[in-house]
Amino acid sequence: MANELFQRFAALHVPGDPVALFNIWDVGSALAVAKAGAKAIATGSASVAMANGFGDGENLPMDFALANARRIAGSVELPVTVDFEGAYSNDPAQVALNFAQLAETGVVGCNFEDQVVGGEGLYPITLQAERIAAARRAVGPDFFINVRTDLFLKAPQETHDEAMLDEAIERVRAYAEAGASGFFVPMLGDLGMLSRLCAESPVPVNFMTYPGCPSNAEVAATGVARISHGPFPHMALMGQLEEAARKAFA
Amino acid sequence: MSKFETFAALHVPGDPVILYNIWDVGSALAVVKAGAKALATGSHPMGDASGFGDAHQVPLDYVFANAARIVAAVDPLPLTVDFEGAYSTDPEEGGHNVASLKQSGAVGCNFEDQLVGGDGIHPLELQVLRIEAIRRAVGDDFFINARTDLLIKTADHGDALIGEVVDRGKAFADAGASGFFVPRLADPRQIERVVREVPLPLNVIAFPGAPPKADWAAAGVARISHGPFPHRALMAQLEEAARVALN
Repeated sequence: MANELFQRFAALHVPGDPVALFNIWDVGSALAVAKAGAKAIATGSASVAMANGFGDGENLPMDFALANARRIAGSVELPVTVDFEGAYSNDPAQVALNFAQLAETGVVGCNFEDQVVGGEGLYPITLQAERIAAARRAVGPDFFINVRTDLFLKAPQETHDEAMLDEAIERVRAYAEAGASGFFVPMLGDLGMLSRLCAESPVPVNFMTYPGCPSNAEVAATGVARISHGPFPHMALMGQLEEAARKAFA
Repeated sequence: MSKFETFAALHVPGDPVILYNIWDVGSALAVVKAGAKALATGSHPMGDASGFGDAHQVPLDYVFANAARIVAAVDPLPLTVDFEGAYSTDPEEGGHNVASLKQSGAVGCNFEDQLVGGDGIHPLELQVLRIEAIRRAVGDDFFINARTDLLIKTADHGDALIGEVVDRGKAFADAGASGFFVPRLADPRQIERVVREVPLPLNVIAFPGAPPKADWAAAGVARISHGPFPHRALMAQLEEAARVALN
């Protein structure tokens, strides 16, 4: 079953015809998004953290994240991917152990960041590649490791340039070599740069929507294979809840 | 005033406190931003959101931890928890469980008289023993909102049934309840009778199509909660947003 779900999930990543993931945080939200016709379910770490009163950045305890993932995977018949931040460790050996625990919950993939969670900057490429390789050894081939680079997230959008893109391409080549299944570039919004990245990346590219971003059609035309929504579905919904409560109190 | 006193003082017959039921920290914070005076979880929303299900399916440890997280996030506002049947039919064990809930920082809870996971409602004598045991276990500073499920479990909501509701309300008051909660009670004339005859603040649930809150207030209601409806409505909005995004 896990194998079949993984195959289904991996096959959804079609460059130019991206799979849309509307990020959720608990079983209730997963079921609502499944009812809307989702082909796969993806958590957002910030959403899970906000819903439960933990800060983002691995303040959400790993045990909570794993138990939540297990409940979600058990509630839908769709592939589930989890936003696993930095896998809760710098150390490749510990990353491997944590990935093994995550795979055991029944999810078929995860996001895995190259920023030093709770620290400064990004991991050097070689160390991040080691962490990915360790994760891959722990979970075997049937797990979608969506490696995220935080290069663009950490720099204001007006500073995104070809040199930064060169580094991203260098990173995705090394990450793919190490066993990454996909490449996630939150806050990269320049269509020209996305096109070049998609052309040069050996693995499917994941774009994250944000307020004011290019349209899905424009993004799809660059060759992106996956569009996710990060924390925005949860934030928008909490705005709607506030509005409904305000009416009830009036 | 302590949090408990603040919460108890919000129960004013004729000027009801409005509780817009929540299920986690995120929903609690949204409702606080809307101007809530107090927070109330709903057991059904919590069961649906977490995926454990209603009817004592959410593990006690999860209930307590979730309550503690909400209490910390909404401080200094008071939190009351929908605690269903206190996870035991045994009076002493129920008391013990509510005492543990109080440790999480909640200032009150709902407590049902239906057989959770079974049929029908507990005999009045047993329900009185259960409420007395809870009161002994938690002391004076905890708002026990004793709920009767007579209207949920009975098709004919005639005056005879309301008489039974009143009998339960009086007995619950004698046993140490702080409030009386009657889901499905909606008719202002019946509400007036319960308010007149039961010496406890009355809580009813607002539902889609319910009479205007002003009518209930005029009938003497002291607390209006929203049960599962906020979560249900919100999940429909999420489904709609997802449908747009996925197409």
